[in-house]
Amino acid sequence: MNRIVVAFVILLFSLIPAAAERLISGISTDTVQITSSFDGERMTFYGTIAPDAGAEQRYVEGPYHAVIVVMGPTQDRVARKKTRNFGIWLNTEQVEFQGFPSYFHVLSSARLDDITDVNTLTTNFILPESHAISPNPAGWWQTLTFGRELIRLMSQEGLFGVQETGVNFHSDTFYSAQLILPSNAPPGPYIAQTYLFRDGEIIARKSDGFAVRKIGFERFLALASTQSPLLYGLACVVLALFTGWLGGVMFRR
Amino acid sequence: MQIYLPIAELSVNLFFLVGIGGAVGFLSGLFGVGGGFLLTPLLIFSGVPTAVAVASVTGQVVAASTSGALSHYRRGGVDLHLAMYLVLSGVLGAFGGVAAFDLLRDVGQLDLVISLGFLVLLGSVGILMLQESVRALLKRRQGIVVRERLPNQHSWIHGLPLRVRFKKSRLYISVLPVLIIGLFIGFVGSLLGIGGGFIMVPALVYLLRVPGSVVIGTSLAQVVAMMAATTVLHAVQSQSVDILLAFCLMVGGVAGAQFGAAAGKHLRGEQLRGLLALLVLAVAIRFGLSLVLTPNDVFSMAVSG
Repeated sequence: MNRIVVAFVILLFSLIPAAAERLISGISTDTVQITSSFDGERMTFYGTIAPDAGAEQRYVEGPYHAVIVVMGPTQDRVARKKTRNFGIWLNTEQVEFQGFPSYFHVLSSARLDDITDVNTLTTNFILPESHAISPNPAGWWQTLTFGRELIRLMSQEGLFGVQETGVNFHSDTFYSAQLILPSNAPPGPYIAQTYLFRDGEIIARKSDGFAVRKIGFERFLALASTQSPLLYGLACVVLALFTGWLGGVMFRR
Repeated sequence: MQIYLPIAELSVNLFFLVGIGGAVGFLSGLFGVGGGFLLTPLLIFSGVPTAVAVASVTGQVVAASTSGALSHYRRGGVDLHLAMYLVLSGVLGAFGGVAAFDLLRDVGQLDLVISLGFLVLLGSVGILMLQESVRALLKRRQGIVVRERLPNQHSWIHGLPLRVRFKKSRLYISVLPVLIIGLFIGFVGSLLGIGGGFIMVPALVYLLRVPGSVVIGTSLAQVVAMMAATTVLHAVQSQSVDILLAFCLMVGGVAGAQFGAAAGKHLRGEQLRGLLALLVLAVAIRFGLSLVLTPNDVFSMAVSG
């Protein structure tokens, strides 16, 4: 429901007569390839602000703030809590978050609080917390607590984060941002949504996509394990038997 | 050098993987056990998801036990007839184990059950082995000749119906205890990602009175066949077997086992069993503490569905 409202708001925004500014942005790569030696990848996001095509102004006036939200494919995640029962610690409570981002990083050119108000940040899903407050059968208090913990755990894994100095303006209108995608970033389609702010208002937005995917042998293995699991399992066994046999032969004296 | 594991979806240091494979392989060669009970916990503690660790170690155990089983087979130390009964019931048990594994993972209690399972199994086996080896060492020191129990001494187990003759083991016993042992080890092994050699060997020796000359070989042959079946089951059911992870562990394990076996020749049987008992107990205590001590973080997360 919330999302529909947000989509509607976004639609409304886009119907408002052309803003004076236009955002031209890009990413250093459109595919991050996971090879056997993949150990994360450094990505660069960049963009420039120009007068809109229909606008009469020949120049643009700042100061601007840019916020880039990089979001990975969504998945269903559960957060669990251990409690002590009969002297041992075991998982007793859990809250499931459906459609939770597997990766979420926010890069901004200043402190988010200084750029705009919390309401704008939340309704545009710029804050990590905004993904953990959607209605949930567990009740709002549980959702709030477990959502906060889930975001903390994701941040520890390097999958969630907010870098408030992540975006650098090199001139009044040109910015760039660097992000190191960790090796545990889940494969799938990613979206980098850039918001341009002036005086706390969003004046332009642009989204760019990139894909993280396994290629070559890694891709072959991952596909085989899900598409023909029986053959994959048998191959594992044959490999194991062969390695064991070979070891015995090589080391026998 | 980092290597990306396609199923675990994270990158791990290659030398670390081959290294722990080798270290555990050395110990498994030294003591004549599969080493799954050390490798699975080590992988879990180093950040590999529990499901992937258990399923992939299953593949590693196959490799680690193959060379041993082959060399015992060449020396005539495998009772194929007995192994067949153990494997058949073991595979049945493995079906149950893999199903339970999936169910527990969905409910979020997999780690708990694995910790409890390791604690109970390793704890009890470790204490029994320690007692036995300390007693043997003390007696040797006092100069008493330890008289092995004779294989033809009978217990109530031998009075059960459905008796079958196992020629190589020189046994004429009921198949019921054989099937139950196989079923139990199949279930526990697939659930915990261990071969179960350290349960199988005492069970064969003390419960069935299988002669020493065929115990290790038969147990190894059973581990190879049962773990091979379990690997396939895990691959089909939970799709969490990481072939690259398993292969790195295998390479280290197979090489390490050869050095371990060579080193084992310099130690006496009771000493070896005593050391193994201490090792097994240490792992059990580690799991016990993780259950009892207040965890660093009471919250955890997982991908569902």
